Amino acid sequence: MVTSMQAAVFVALGEPSRLRIVDLLRAGPLPVGAIAEALGIRQPQVSKHLRVLGDSGIVSSQAQARQRIYQLEAAPFEDIGQWVASFERLWDDRLDSLGDFLNSITHEKKDDGP
Amino acid sequence: MILQLFKKKKEFTLQRTYRAPIATVWEAWTQADLLRQWWGPKNTFVPECRIEPHVGGEVYVVMEAGEGMGKYAGTRWPMAGTFTRVDPVSRLTYDARSWTDGQEATTTIEHTNDITLQERDGQTTLTLDVTISSIGDKAKMAAFGMKFGYKAQLDKLAERLAGQSG
Repeated sequence: MVTSMQAAVFVALGEPSRLRIVDLLRAGPLPVGAIAEALGIRQPQVSKHLRVLGDSGIVSSQAQARQRIYQLEAAPFEDIGQWVASFERLWDDRLDSLGDFLNSITHEKKDDGP
Repeated sequence: MILQLFKKKKEFTLQRTYRAPIATVWEAWTQADLLRQWWGPKNTFVPECRIEPHVGGEVYVVMEAGEGMGKYAGTRWPMAGTFTRVDPVSRLTYDARSWTDGQEATTTIEHTNDITLQERDGQTTLTLDVTISSIGDKAKMAAFGMKFGYKAQLDKLAERLAGQSG
């Protein structure tokens, strides 16, 4: 199911410059000036893109000294974490299952014992 | 490429202490006829299992959903891997792929499992470290809450992007 928030994420990333900004921010938080310089885009344009990315929850910003630092937010990418969590749950169940199995065979041994 | 957003490694660690000697726990992991008795959680069974517990040896286990799994009944989840470290009876490491049968291209998870056993007072503590290095496209797409149709669009977008930066 595509929720409105996820649709916004898709729209936000569906613009090449914004995708490049997201890609750049993967390496760590940056101020707008550094983003503009790295991508060769004028600063007002970058600010506009950052606003769209901010509205969809992909990027957040923090004031630091006299500038704003932009960083990637985890939430839009959390579904991938859920996928990993379901894999983790499988192994968790499996280790419990091993415990039940070990109990069953040690009991058998006791029953067979003297 | 947008999918590289997800190249980051994911890790988790699980630990259990069992009332069993270390050799028994080791055997449960390294003997196919024993492993198949516990590998599948409730309502699943293991129709295929091959284990060659030596470095370079194969580990292949298929878990299959039984009747109790309703609409999933008959679904098979294989895991195929190779042992990279085998120190009886304390350490077992293998690289593997796990997937849903019939959807291998989109559901494969590549992972390394590192099992450490330690015995103390007749109890054995098992530590399982799992490192996931790759996750199938379907999961990556799900991460954006997208239906499959978007994939072509995204690929096109990535191509255009590559063209621009190149």
